[in-house]
Amino acid sequence: MSVAVETPVASTEHDSERCGSEEDNRGVESEERSQQPTGPAAAASVSHNRLSKLPLTRIKALMKTDPDVSLASQESVFIIAKATELFVEMIAKDALVYVQQGKRKTLQRKDLDNAIEAIDEFAFLEGTLD
Amino acid sequence: MAERPEDLNLPNAVITRIIKEALPDGVNVSKEARRAISQAASVFVLYATSCANNFAMKAKRKTLNAGDVLAAMEEMEFQRFLEPLREALEVYKKDQKGKKEVSEQKRKDKEKKVDSESSKYREEEEADEEEEEEQQRMEEEPEEEEDVEN
Repeated sequence: MSVAVETPVASTEHDSERCGSEEDNRGVESEERSQQPTGPAAAASVSHNRLSKLPLTRIKALMKTDPDVSLASQESVFIIAKATELFVEMIAKDALVYVQQGKRKTLQRKDLDNAIEAIDEFAFLEGTLD
Repeated sequence: MAERPEDLNLPNAVITRIIKEALPDGVNVSKEARRAISQAASVFVLYATSCANNFAMKAKRKTLNAGDVLAAMEEMEFQRFLEPLREALEVYKKDQKGKKEVSEQKRKDKEKKVDSESSKYREEEEADEEEEEEQQRMEEEPEEEEDVEN
C-alpha cells in the first residue's frame, strides 16, 4: 500500500509591499490629496500604496550615499520621503510669491533663488544648486 | 556598486506633480526651476538624513528610526512638518501592520495544511507498523494466528 504525500504548493502569490521589501511607490497619489489626478500616469498609480508619492527605494538609496549611515528603518525612509514631499510643496509656494510680485505666470529659477535667500529654513541650500 | 549622490535624482514626473499641486491653476514652472527644485529635494534628503543620523549615533544606535527623523525636522527648523508627518506615520504603521497580518495569516494557513497532511501520513505509518508487529507475533505463535490480509 503506497502512501501519497502531498507537497503543498508554495504560494507564488506575493504581496509586493510586505514588510522587509521596499517597493517603489512611483507616482502614487497621496491620501490627503483632494484634487483629482490628471494624466494617464495617475490612473496607474491608484492601485499602489497611497501613502508616499516618492519612491522609497530611491530615497533609501540616496540616504545610503552617506557613509555614516549603516541602517535605516522602513519607517524612517517613509518619513523622509514624506518630509521631502512637504519640502517641495513649501519651496514651490514660497517661490510663488516672487512670481506674483513680478506679475508673471511662470515660476522661474530666479524666483527660487529669491526664496532661498529670503527664508531661513532654506539656508542649507545656499551654494548647493547648480 | 556604490551610487554617488549626483547620480540619484528623484523622478521628475513626481516632483513636477507635487509642484503643480502646490501651485494655483494657471501657473507654470520653467524647466530650470523644476530641475533646481528636484536638486534641492535631493539635498534636503541628504541633510535630513545626516541630521537624523546624528541623533541615532548619540543614542548609540546603528539603525536610523522614525524618531530620529522627527527630531531632525525640529533641528532643521521644519517644525511645521511635524504634525503632518506624525499623522502620515500612523497611517503608514497601520498599513504595514495590516499587510503583515495578511502575510502571517497566509503563512499560518499554509502551516495548518502541512500539519494536517503530515499527521495523516503518520497515522498511516503507524497502522502499517502495527500490522507488521502482528505478523511477527503470528509467526511465533502459530496457534493464535489470524488471517491478516496485507
